[in-house]
Amino acid sequence: MKTILVACGGAVATSTVAADKIRTLCQLHHIDVDVQQCRIQEIAMRAADVDLIVTTARVTTDYGTPVIHGIAFISGINLEATEQKVLDALSS
Amino acid sequence: MNFLQYIVDLGPSVMLPLVIMIIGLCLRQGFGKSLMSGLTIGVGFVGIGLVIGLLTNNLGPAASDMAKHFGVGLNVIDLGWPGTSPMAWASSMGLIAIPIAIVVNVLMLVTKMTKVVNVDIWNIWHMAFTGIIVQIATGNVWVGMAAVAIHAAIAYKLGDIFGSVTDNYFGLDGVAIPHGSSATMGVMASPIDDLIELIPGVRKINLTTEKLEQRFGVFGQPLIVGTILGLAIGLLAGYQVGAALQLGVQMGAVMLLMPMVVKLIMQGLLPIAAAAQKMLQKHFKSGDYKVGLDPALLLGDTQVVAAGLMFVPLTILIAFIVPGNKVLPFGDLATIGFFVAMAVGVHKGNLFRTLISGSVIMYITIWIANQMVVLQTSLAERVNLLGKADQVGSLDQGGNPLTFLMAKGFTWDVSIGFFVIFLLYIGSFVYTYLKYKRGTLYRVALPVTQKAASRR
Repeated sequence: MKTILVACGGAVATSTVAADKIRTLCQLHHIDVDVQQCRIQEIAMRAADVDLIVTTARVTTDYGTPVIHGIAFISGINLEATEQKVLDALSS
Repeated sequence: MNFLQYIVDLGPSVMLPLVIMIIGLCLRQGFGKSLMSGLTIGVGFVGIGLVIGLLTNNLGPAASDMAKHFGVGLNVIDLGWPGTSPMAWASSMGLIAIPIAIVVNVLMLVTKMTKVVNVDIWNIWHMAFTGIIVQIATGNVWVGMAAVAIHAAIAYKLGDIFGSVTDNYFGLDGVAIPHGSSATMGVMASPIDDLIELIPGVRKINLTTEKLEQRFGVFGQPLIVGTILGLAIGLLAGYQVGAALQLGVQMGAVMLLMPMVVKLIMQGLLPIAAAAQKMLQKHFKSGDYKVGLDPALLLGDTQVVAAGLMFVPLTILIAFIVPGNKVLPFGDLATIGFFVAMAVGVHKGNLFRTLISGSVIMYITIWIANQMVVLQTSLAERVNLLGKADQVGSLDQGGNPLTFLMAKGFTWDVSIGFFVIFLLYIGSFVYTYLKYKRGTLYRVALPVTQKAASRR
């Protein structure tokens, strides 16, 4: 099972929206995932333990784990492209 | 009517699940999904009740003891936005605020007063909070609803105003951040930026912080912030080391658990949020519009992260120097970045300037939070989220000038402080607005070659 860390400012609002969409997406593609949420500043401490990081804010830090900018999950703009990125990252 | 009152009296953990379930059914979400959404929101309220209990029952007495020992009166705990947003949602204004905010948005879009299509349903809690606080202050539900509308209109307009900052500094093209507190506090930054520009020498100061996060990042971890603060207050309260350590871990737990329970409220709101987003984006989708989203988007920027880190100790420090302050910063400390994020953008990432404008912002916020303690406590009492505390407060939205000016202005409960805030805030707002109108709020520096070319 792959673990995805979804981060936003307060781990309440936008990351919940994104996490919900990622869970649904993975269910649809029969991928077994554990989607967890955290605040941006908590990523560094947890990055090593997860397979993929999705953030709703744009982050430039290199955490050593693949990061996908997930703004599309909340704006709905170019959602398919971001969904594909997540699927690609999970299948690699 | 009696039946309705009976349901209302059962409190938000019963009433809201029912309302959300009914709305879910109306939105054709199906019975199972609607029931789950409803119950999830109920669990969120039960959860935040437990966490606020853990916070006020343990930190409260320690803060009082600390106050007795040192004569520092910081005995009203800041619940932060994770503690305050559930109060807004649980209040009678909570769910009414969503349609009001959407109608105001649509009216402004149709009359071309804004380009912001706000799909950030979660942050309507800021407007709902202003509404219920004004309602409690004035005793008039209609004035409360008007306050929701005014706060919403100002927030959307701020989305337009800070468009150049979100586009150019944060690189968020097509996105606006019409936020109840990030954007509303951001207007303080522009006049301060220009003031600094006038001081020779000081205008050249900049701080770089590439290493700050690497070195001190651990002290920005909410778990660590909560634990250190709990431990320190325990010791200052004269507790034995063991008891202070216990308080430390308890407060670490509060910091870590808060978002975990509050996110359940968001989860329950997802069907409504999704339906509202779909409806708005269907009708206003050409390239002329900007999508209004959560300020969480700004919090990944390195300078915002650095500022958020520096303002944890700074905010506590400021709390000690604000005259007559009773509010002990706590719940908002982990996400202090929300207050200063827009300022960081206005200062183009200059951390020195952010320190100055951020200190002004936090000073004002803490001072206002004090004036709102009585009203916020009465709200907490109404929605059963007071715990065992006598009084509660919050920086995020409890310390907001808009909420304060409306609550006190509409009841004409004014002091000298009211006029000072009024002049400072309205002045900064007008100043920022004029700069936006002239297109000078965020000047993009031309590359050198282009500058030479334009001179010719």
